[in-house]
Amino acid sequence: MLPAAGEPAAGDSWGMLACLCAVLWHLPAVPAHNRTGDPGPGPSIQKTYDLTRYLEHQLRSLAGTYLNYLGPPFNEPDFNPPRLGAETLPRATVNLEVWRSLNDRLRLTQNYEAYSHLLCYLRGLNRQAATAELRRSLAHFCTSLQGLLGSIAGVMAALGYPLPQPLPGTEPTWTPGPAHSDFLQKMDDFWLLKELQTWLWRSAKDFNRLKKKMQPPAAAVTLHLEAHGF
Amino acid sequence: MALFAVFQTTYLLALLSLRTYESEVLSEPLPLTPESLKVSVNSTCQCLHLQWTVHSLAYHQELKMVFQIQISRFKTSNVIWVENYSTTVKQNQVLHWSWESELPLECAAHFIRMRSVVDDSRIPESGFWSNWSSWEEADAQNLLGHDPLFVFPKDKLVEEGSNVTICYVSRIHQDNISCYLEGVQIHGEQLDRSVTAFELKNVSFIRKKGTNVFCKMEQGGVLGGIVLFVSKVLQEPKDFSCETQDLKTLTCTWDPGSDTGLTKQPSQSYTLFESFSGKRTLCKHRNWCNWQVAQDSQETYNFTLLAENYLRKRSVSILFNLTQRVHPMTPYNLFPKNVGATNATMTWKVHSIGNNSTLLCQLELLTEEKVIQQHNVSIKVNGEYLLSELEPDTEYVARVRCAYTKHFWKWSEFISQKFNTAEAAPSEAPDVWRNMKMVSGHPTVSLFWKPLSKVHANGKILFYNVTVENLDKPSRLEVLSIPAPARSTELTLDQCSYQIHVTAHNSVGPSPASVIVVSGDPGNEEVEKGRVNGTEDGFSVSWKPQSGDATGYVVEWCDGPQDLPCVLQWKNLGPNTTSTVISSGAFRPGVRYNFRIYGISTKRMAHLLEKKAGYLEELAPSDNPQVVMSNLTSHSFTLSWKDYSTESQPGFIQGYHVYLKPKAGEQCHQAFEKTVLPEDSVCCKYTIDNPEQKTFVVENLQPESVYEFFVTPYTSVGEGPLDAFTKVTTPDEYSHILIRIILPMVFCVLIVMIICYLKSQWLKEKCYPDIPDPYKSSVLSLIKSKENPHLTIMNVNDCVPDAIEVINKPEGSKIQFLGTRKSLTETEFTKPAYLYLLPTEKNYSGPGPCICFENFTYNQAASDFASCGHFPVTPQAPPPQLGPLTSPENLLKALEQNYMNSLGEIPAGEANLNYVSQLASPTSGDKDSLPTNPPEPALCSEYKMQMAIPLGLASAPPRENSSLSSTTLLGQGEHCS
Repeated sequence: MLPAAGEPAAGDSWGMLACLCAVLWHLPAVPAHNRTGDPGPGPSIQKTYDLTRYLEHQLRSLAGTYLNYLGPPFNEPDFNPPRLGAETLPRATVNLEVWRSLNDRLRLTQNYEAYSHLLCYLRGLNRQAATAELRRSLAHFCTSLQGLLGSIAGVMAALGYPLPQPLPGTEPTWTPGPAHSDFLQKMDDFWLLKELQTWLWRSAKDFNRLKKKMQPPAAAVTLHLEAHGF
Repeated sequence: MALFAVFQTTYLLALLSLRTYESEVLSEPLPLTPESLKVSVNSTCQCLHLQWTVHSLAYHQELKMVFQIQISRFKTSNVIWVENYSTTVKQNQVLHWSWESELPLECAAHFIRMRSVVDDSRIPESGFWSNWSSWEEADAQNLLGHDPLFVFPKDKLVEEGSNVTICYVSRIHQDNISCYLEGVQIHGEQLDRSVTAFELKNVSFIRKKGTNVFCKMEQGGVLGGIVLFVSKVLQEPKDFSCETQDLKTLTCTWDPGSDTGLTKQPSQSYTLFESFSGKRTLCKHRNWCNWQVAQDSQETYNFTLLAENYLRKRSVSILFNLTQRVHPMTPYNLFPKNVGATNATMTWKVHSIGNNSTLLCQLELLTEEKVIQQHNVSIKVNGEYLLSELEPDTEYVARVRCAYTKHFWKWSEFISQKFNTAEAAPSEAPDVWRNMKMVSGHPTVSLFWKPLSKVHANGKILFYNVTVENLDKPSRLEVLSIPAPARSTELTLDQCSYQIHVTAHNSVGPSPASVIVVSGDPGNEEVEKGRVNGTEDGFSVSWKPQSGDATGYVVEWCDGPQDLPCVLQWKNLGPNTTSTVISSGAFRPGVRYNFRIYGISTKRMAHLLEKKAGYLEELAPSDNPQVVMSNLTSHSFTLSWKDYSTESQPGFIQGYHVYLKPKAGEQCHQAFEKTVLPEDSVCCKYTIDNPEQKTFVVENLQPESVYEFFVTPYTSVGEGPLDAFTKVTTPDEYSHILIRIILPMVFCVLIVMIICYLKSQWLKEKCYPDIPDPYKSSVLSLIKSKENPHLTIMNVNDCVPDAIEVINKPEGSKIQFLGTRKSLTETEFTKPAYLYLLPTEKNYSGPGPCICFENFTYNQAASDFASCGHFPVTPQAPPPQLGPLTSPENLLKALEQNYMNSLGEIPAGEANLNYVSQLASPTSGDKDSLPTNPPEPALCSEYKMQMAIPLGLASAPPRENSSLSSTTLLGQGEHCS
């Protein structure tokens, strides 16, 4: 990072220190000196990637709390129930070859649609939660997930892809039917959290791939400054 | 045709009616069979619902009937329930009956049939059962889908403590299905090939989200489960009561108990119902509810609080009069007004209740969280009360609460207000005391005073004024102002008497003055000393009353130990007091406190009356004295510990214990007592009961013995710590006697030596005169007097011996061999031995000087060496043949013979003289030849044998041949110079 600040005069240590301080002081004000015009989708892809990782971490804590709330066997580490009533959940698992062959638009669209559905289901979960603390945690996670959705939309917009429009009447609902027992409902909740975790993992892969793809050639990149925290 | 049919029907009905009538009249049995039996299943309540009719009844006929219902499970022969259901039946009435199954109905097919009997008194002998209806099947399994595994009942809601039966239906008939309750495996009873039931007894609430029960097949990952919602039991509301603050709104409160809410069931709801008005309201809160009082001046209310959930209802009722449930609101605007040093006026307001209602208000005054005043005031809206008898400069809290005067129900909440009263001048003179001492020859008085208590200070003390007035001569008053919080000052005075006034000042004014008179005399008078006993309460000090005009007494002491700076304390006492208890939190056990009692005269002058010393609690001494041992003799030694201070000990020293460990086997002396030390060693103890006796003589000891001693003081509590014993060894009994003898002897020897030194010349002459000079010998004069011209004195010349004859003496005389430079010590010989040593050719260096002596004065008369002698060797005897002569006998014989020959006059008895040969051995180059010629005096100097002269013959003239008797062994080549 530092070579971009220029070579200080040899032997002038005070000058070098002053130069270093000046560079550090101005770091927040220097988004990308060498870039001209639109920075492109790179930063927003990176932010989206970071957000998926953050949500992964956040979900780990939330899922632990929620599965304990459901009780055994849902909070047992090796519990892997059949996917009985969760067929409407968007599946994150996909054949590797298929995943590789996805183009950017399809990749992003699938992400966007998946999180749209998952967010909706998650809000339903929040409404049913019996404890205030759990509702608070779920609401916080929903807000974060809403942010991820917005971030994906931002990337798509930056790349010039249109957002997928929901078909009328296909608004996903998480209201169990009359034959849907509470046990199956709990299984659905379990699968919702599991799919969400898998999707976040997949999204991290997606955006990492996208990030690498969108990176300009190495010669063109001379400075990439991140000034978080200043 | 139709007409015919109508007629036929009419005929039949008429016939039936007639038969019925006949049967009634004739009392014939009338079988009425239940018909149109229908069975339905309600999965929610696990109920079988039955409905049927009895068609055979006559029109408008009502009959009491009993229906016997049989229920079978799995197959018709397996009857599990039989019940008689009694009811009144009308014509065409559809009858209903329900049955709740313990086993979920989905798990088994059920079969139901019934029969009936008329149980009506109007129809006698009617007790004939009808025929059974046909079996009706209720099979909920048909409604199930095609899943391989089902668990029932689904989402059942039960109360805590219930028993629940759970079952599973497996489409695949496998045995390896296991079921779990909250992750814990449960075991059930197999009812059918595909049905297994589990009975859960006394289920308890686990979570709002329900208790999970699930079953799974080991193969295929097939899973089925249910959630069992266990609700807590709804409790009756407790402490239900209603009250009003303003006669407009009633507020009812209660304790709701535990929440019965689940995700399957909302929390219990509460409904308030008033029976007189018939009004009802659904409460929005769990534990309280508001009820608007109607304007129609209803006074009496009967409220019922109904709590309900899906499973249960509970209710509680109260009946009350509205005016008897008035709980006024908290008063407001409570303020102090016109606050003085000792009084203040409090004002407050209350919320009005209805029209012209009077409230009873309670005004409380608190200080330090204690209620000190309480006043009741009846007011309508504004309250006011004058509080008096307050203390100046004190923080108070005033608080007010009110109640409805008409019917007291409850006090309102308190409203509180803090306020401080104003300051006033101090009400009491400070308690002053003094300490007199001399500083640099000037009497100096240290004045001490105690800070005024809060009660007497009446404000913050700012400074103290000390006014000094000379009583002996008129002079100007000296005023010192000492700012607070100082508690002492020092004044340097002269020998005059002074009167000192001390006053404390706060912002309002001074306190009354405290007066004390001091004189220049420090007052070190000798007074009676005593002891004082300490108790748990302190020191109980008493003194003799002072005869005369004492206006009071003062007891003075120091709070700390003696080795710390004195924190002077005192206590003023009245004139009639002769004892007091001095207590202080600073008093510690094991510390000596000294009390001085002063009498205060009418002139305010203090005189020391008594001194007391005491301990709050005496302790055993903490350390032992440093004991010095002296005057050690073989039978006693002295111990002393003069430096030990008895004053600074943790108790009054009553004496000392001297421990002495005697040597083994020795008994304790009479004055000692035998005691056993903690380490089980036995020793002797002597008790000194005088604390001032700090020396002790240990007597009656054994000489040359090791004793160990140890001295420890003791108080009334015990003795000091057991330290190490000091060892002492008593000396020998005779050593001093020896010293008494040896010293004089040494002295005497010294005297003798000095005398000998001084008289050495005399002694020398007497004891060891010089070796006589031949030239000065008296013998010479004797010879000369005989005028023997042949006798002459030989000169001493150097000579080189050719051979040395060494005589070995039996006493271990040393023989030195010159040739080999080797010495031998012969001590084994008891007889003389003679060795001849002949020089070799090499050693012979030709003729050399030799020294010849002839000593005629050598006198060995006192010698007793009879066994040793020297004999002359004849020249004729060749050296090889000398062997026989080496025998002492031979030698002695030869010697005797020789002497007898030469000294014929010498008696044989006097021949045992010691002769030391000083003869030079003859040296010759030819070993084989011995000198045969007699010595030639002119050619060779001759060492003549020393001749012992008997004392009696010392002056006898020697004979002529006496010189010849001396044998000389000289080599041929020997020459004398």
